[in-house]
Amino acid sequence: MTGFLQIEAASKQFGGLKAVDDVTLAISAGELVSIIGPNGAGKTTLFNLLTGQLAPTSGKVVFEGRNISHLAPHKRARLGFGRTFQISQTLTSMSVLENAMVGAFLHHRSLAAAAAEATRALDMVGLASRASDRAASLTLGERRRLELARALAMQPRLVLLDEVMAGLNQSEVQEIIALVQRLNAGGLTFLVIEHNLKVVRAFSRRVIVLNRGAVLAQGSADAVLGNPAVIEAYVGKRRA
Amino acid sequence: MSNPEQALTLRKPAGVRTFARELPVNLAVLAALGALVLLFARDSFTLNILAGSFLFAGLATAWNIIGGLGGQFSLGHSVFFAAGAYTAANLYLKLHVSPWLALVPAAGVAALLAVAVSWPVFRLRGPFFAIATMAFTEVLLALAMYFDAFTGGARGLSIPFRAGLENMIFKDRLSYALLMLGFFALTLLAFTAIARSRLGYRLQAIRDNEDTAMAAGIDVLATKLTGMALSAGLTGVGGALFLMYVRVVDPPALFSLFDIGVKIALVTLIGGIGTIYGPLLGALLVIPLENTLRAELGGWIPGGNLIVLGLILILSALFVKRGLVGALWSLAARLRGIAR
Repeated sequence: MTGFLQIEAASKQFGGLKAVDDVTLAISAGELVSIIGPNGAGKTTLFNLLTGQLAPTSGKVVFEGRNISHLAPHKRARLGFGRTFQISQTLTSMSVLENAMVGAFLHHRSLAAAAAEATRALDMVGLASRASDRAASLTLGERRRLELARALAMQPRLVLLDEVMAGLNQSEVQEIIALVQRLNAGGLTFLVIEHNLKVVRAFSRRVIVLNRGAVLAQGSADAVLGNPAVIEAYVGKRRA
Repeated sequence: MSNPEQALTLRKPAGVRTFARELPVNLAVLAALGALVLLFARDSFTLNILAGSFLFAGLATAWNIIGGLGGQFSLGHSVFFAAGAYTAANLYLKLHVSPWLALVPAAGVAALLAVAVSWPVFRLRGPFFAIATMAFTEVLLALAMYFDAFTGGARGLSIPFRAGLENMIFKDRLSYALLMLGFFALTLLAFTAIARSRLGYRLQAIRDNEDTAMAAGIDVLATKLTGMALSAGLTGVGGALFLMYVRVVDPPALFSLFDIGVKIALVTLIGGIGTIYGPLLGALLVIPLENTLRAELGGWIPGGNLIVLGLILILSALFVKRGLVGALWSLAARLRGIAR
């Protein structure tokens, strides 16, 4: 069986800094995988290698047997990659509905069809009642949900969430967890960068820990979060 | 995969303005402008001002496709304006092609030129793009002066006066005012159709955030080039009409950065960038004012009209950031607040 998404010995170098260092990973279709790691571990760089914002210095990214290492982001979107950004990227001159429509136009030509698809996506993230509001009037938490809606309106096969919970309140976090789990149960693959360990525990059958650009550990949430090397990477070495 | 269009129930969501919904207002505005022209049917002075206003309203509306929707602040649209004028002039003078027919190749040449010069500069963002468009204006002006077989060089080209509908040359000013109104109508309908289409949404997404646009599957370069080609094509039509209106053109006038390239952008900014009727409002304010100022101040303080126009731009940049259209919207909102 050819895998769904594979990263094969990928590295990304910025001058003297190796932000991603020889990472090899395989994600299967239908998985819900969390990526954690301290600040500067290379999580977002790894994401950008996957979505095409960056190309690897060496190694490759393979999607369904096809080497996509140098494929432009918009072409990966057409393959089924949806993503959110760490710093929320709302299209502020547009309404909430129009923001989601920008994603929906990937598969729809007409305004009416795109609007219907976008409305469905807004409904999923709980923003349908805000459809005609200016996107600029949304709170940070709502903006993050709107970004997720834009990605869902693209009818993706794989969604990459870059700290989508940051700045959300407790009930919003619970809603997003439930939504992601529901979509994942329906077969949608998720790759999630997350700082909130409560969220990671709720999500993951599988957690990948990055440190200094390399995979430090992976496995179930409990196993990984109890791993002494992981604890050391987060809080430093206990003084003897 | 099954066709996603079929899987959806096409209920009409609130808040999406389709072209069909905008069209009645488009037509009402055009009818009002037509009535305005007929009102001054015997007043050549006013008809000239109206013709100039409609020409710039049309050019600004065409610019608004890439400058307003797409956020690509071109100051080089005089290049496409000149390309349209020279295409029509050469076809008419050398091959006796009616200017009406020449409008199509005028648009085509301008659009092709736009794709060729935009390809390299679309890598640049923000002010760097604007500066690059100014630079290519200067380069093409130099080339136009050099290739005098097509442009007449510094002497320019003149179209002999042979009145007749097929020559697009008229004895009366009324016909020219209506001709320019027709040009504005073309650009207005084109802009509205584009703004309310997938292309329009994609251009706006690019204007707001290129990274998000890419992540949403938008081919940023291809979308910008499409918007630029449509914008330039319509600008080329305007150039051809301008040629037949003035009948004497030379490179410094056609490629003029201030009188064409910057003025198109300025008119749009003052009226309301990215809005459907902003360019019209801007042109109806700026062009008559400029004409009056030139008549009143021109002999008294040379360049006095430019000082006043500069002041208007500064004031509108300070106080009506969203242009006249934006200011009218805020006023309407405030009045509704008072009425409540």
